[in-house]
Amino acid sequence: MIDPNRLMEDLLDKGAEYCDIRKEEWDRMSVTLKDGEIDKISQGGEEGAIVRVLYKNGWGCVGTSNLDDIKEASERALSMAKSSDEFKNEETGLAETEIQKDDVKMPMDENPLDVDTEEKISLVRDLEDKINRDFVSSTEVRYGETVVEKEITTSEGTQVMMEIPRVITYLIITGESDTIQRATEGAGGTGGYELTEKAYEKVDVVTERLKKLLEADTPPSGSLPLIMDPSLAGVFVHEAFGHAAEGDLLSSGNSCLKGKLGEKVAADGVNIKDDPTFKGYGQFPYDDEGTKAKNRVLVKDGVLNDFILDRESAWKLDMEPNGGARAEDFRVKPLVRMSNTIIEPGDLKFEELIEKVDKGIYAKSSSGGQVSTAEGTFQFNAQEGYLIEDGEIVKPLRDVSFNGFTLETLQNITGISDDFEAGIGHCGKGQTASVSHGGPHMLISDVTVGGRE
Amino acid sequence: MSDQIVESVKTAIEEIDKRGLKGDVYALKEKAIGHSIKKGELSESSGYDDIGLGIRVIKDDKIGFGYCVPGKEEKGVKHAIELSDFSERLDLELPSEKDTPGVEVYDEKVRDVIEDSEGAELTQKMIDGSSSVADDITPTRGGLNVSMGTRVIGNTEGLFLKEKGSSIFGSVTVSIPQEETSLQATEIGVDCKLDLDFEEIGGKAANKVDSIRSSSERLSGDHPVVISPYAITQLIGFGLIPAINGENVRKGKSVYQGKIGEKVASEDLLMKDDPTVDWGVGSGAFDDEGVISKDTPIISDGILKNFIYDLKESAKDEKESTGNGVRSGFKSLPETTHRNIVLEGEGKDRDDLMPDKGIYVDNVLGAHTANPVSGDFSVVTNPVWRVEDGERKGRIDGLMISGNLPEILKSIELADDRKKCFLQIGSRRLIIETPTVRLNDVTISGK
Ligand SMILES: [Zn+2]
Repeated sequence: MIDPNRLMEDLLDKGAEYCDIRKEEWDRMSVTLKDGEIDKISQGGEEGAIVRVLYKNGWGCVGTSNLDDIKEASERALSMAKSSDEFKNEETGLAETEIQKDDVKMPMDENPLDVDTEEKISLVRDLEDKINRDFVSSTEVRYGETVVEKEITTSEGTQVMMEIPRVITYLIITGESDTIQRATEGAGGTGGYELTEKAYEKVDVVTERLKKLLEADTPPSGSLPLIMDPSLAGVFVHEAFGHAAEGDLLSSGNSCLKGKLGEKVAADGVNIKDDPTFKGYGQFPYDDEGTKAKNRVLVKDGVLNDFILDRESAWKLDMEPNGGARAEDFRVKPLVRMSNTIIEPGDLKFEELIEKVDKGIYAKSSSGGQVSTAEGTFQFNAQEGYLIEDGEIVKPLRDVSFNGFTLETLQNITGISDDFEAGIGHCGKGQTASVSHGGPHMLISDVTVGGRE
Repeated sequence: MSDQIVESVKTAIEEIDKRGLKGDVYALKEKAIGHSIKKGELSESSGYDDIGLGIRVIKDDKIGFGYCVPGKEEKGVKHAIELSDFSERLDLELPSEKDTPGVEVYDEKVRDVIEDSEGAELTQKMIDGSSSVADDITPTRGGLNVSMGTRVIGNTEGLFLKEKGSSIFGSVTVSIPQEETSLQATEIGVDCKLDLDFEEIGGKAANKVDSIRSSSERLSGDHPVVISPYAITQLIGFGLIPAINGENVRKGKSVYQGKIGEKVASEDLLMKDDPTVDWGVGSGAFDDEGVISKDTPIISDGILKNFIYDLKESAKDEKESTGNGVRSGFKSLPETTHRNIVLEGEGKDRDDLMPDKGIYVDNVLGAHTANPVSGDFSVVTNPVWRVEDGERKGRIDGLMISGNLPEILKSIELADDRKKCFLQIGSRRLIIETPTVRLNDVTISGK
């Protein structure tokens, strides 16, 4: 590949305001065990680079998996930026970020690339063996690893190299009573093969959940208090709040948080952060624009304090970039993305939360839903639910779904427990990003509960 | 330079051959551009050139898979061989039939758009079209994606097939700001050739949102629902297509298990998977395993005829592959996947489908919550109009429709305005050509 700096000099000579090149080399391995048989097994590698050019107000980016073609890609990126600028009236720019020179390898005890395939196969088989088959009709166990080496070079002088390993395992089981029920759990994070240890703890969680679901009733509906478990609380802050705190959605008028910085958006004692330095699945040392990753305190004691920002959205909102730019791979430009989104624990015991509820729902783990960041509305389905009566958990529920307005709901957080747990996820926004979300148990005084929509 | 991919596939096949093994090699070279619309104007432009190989090796009846970039074929083959050890035994028979039907899926003009950076101009046409209806209507989201590619599949049985394809996808969401929220409508256009009218896509979206300014009285209960091609695509995609997949049928995850030959739908209904339709967005002369494409009737004259299969599933189920082995990229193994679903009926005039009292649904939200096994669904509709005496009246806010897809097919009525629709479901693309339809067996309720 041609020296990125020479390539960029050439682009600047031709009138580019700014350009950067991100080169990546990926190694991936994955295996899926379905009902005791290896359903899919795959291993491979790829490499490529993307050139991003800003010409006046126009952006152009071209990614290529042929590094010998990088010169041509850079020329196409420039011509795209020019034609983009022609049709554009809105001004754009990049907020200043510190110039970085660094070479970071994220720590891992055991490089997954050095682990024999046999061992990975016995891992998924082992996990499968540990699943209690009495009431489970089908099982799926997945293992996946990625190791990426990135090199980000900007026309401003930043040059950052990093190696990021990630490992995940997933358990998906289904069972049948009068309906078909499904339970899923995942474990993993940023790091090496040692992270697979966590998967064993999930076997009991997921089988216990399915067992409960098979004997569960459908929930009552109406306006009720609801307690979220750490996993659901994490997904809730990610989906309903975190996306609305993404700089690009804010600057394009698609967020209910627009213009609310410094205002009270949640109940007292609510603290929310998005932290790429937290040891989770969404951890990274520098973002894909070469900005150093740092913790973003989004909500501080109920007050909206910060957003997730890349350089362009920071420029548009007149704020400072904080490492919010992430790209799925070298084919695509970075977007504003979350990393590890967390609601901080409070000081109540879980039992104290339950005691506060006369009639309500205890909901655990998410099984999807939808959110409108612009309108600030959400609808979630919980994997597992329980009916609470007179301060006690009475019986299991299935098909628990609830909806409401994000800002109203954040104001209605009337209890936060002192425990904490983080889960892993894949966030979709046109591109996929590995993320973690976590929190304590959280009591919402009032949401609309219904059967699954 | 598609010679590079031909050479690379040949090299990989030789690597497999020389070890005395069987296998197939799939390669994809793709060139794509994308332009996005934000806040009423063109926002960003991007593109990529991609190339890579997926290598499947069969050793002792066990399949291993690896992928790589050109130049690393030997490593890719080694990965595949190593992993084959861990797979289950399966009697997978690689195809050798080489006579492909002629299917038109590549338009030279698409190449010009990509090479000459004309995408920004076409995107601007959608913006202009959507801004021309009223001053307060702005295109808030959307964009254009144009791609072309060469697909190559070869195997150790002597098969070597190559095909060029192209695709264009345009969408625009327009909105009218209201006090609290905003009124929104979306229009899409998808094709393999460049004869989409981009100004018209913008104009249609704007006219739609313009026609929902006034609201109408709510309606609930059982009334006929006329539903747009794009909205029915979403319901069918999540609630019905999984039930025709051979793997789901074999595993008992389909309401249609054991029902081949039975009457399952209205006599007028033809549902087929036909990748041999010229300019079908899911069309092509062969599938991603090298099986020659053919027209597979799924439901014909209301009778359930076939399910779809790829090579692996057909081996497990002792059936023939229907040419439905599809990969979501060179990094992925083939999976049994729909290709170019076509829905046809008697073909009434769309206006004749409009009921005396009912609703017209342009789009639905939350179709992914449909139950893939039973086909039960319950979705929010938006935009949706009240229909009276066959005429569209004002919009209705917060209306939901629910029902069961297999049941709905028994009384479905289809118009004659077939449209190409596209839906991304995870890593798979769903392509359906469908007209506007009338559903006579759904329940309308408030949110
Ligand atoms: Zn997300």
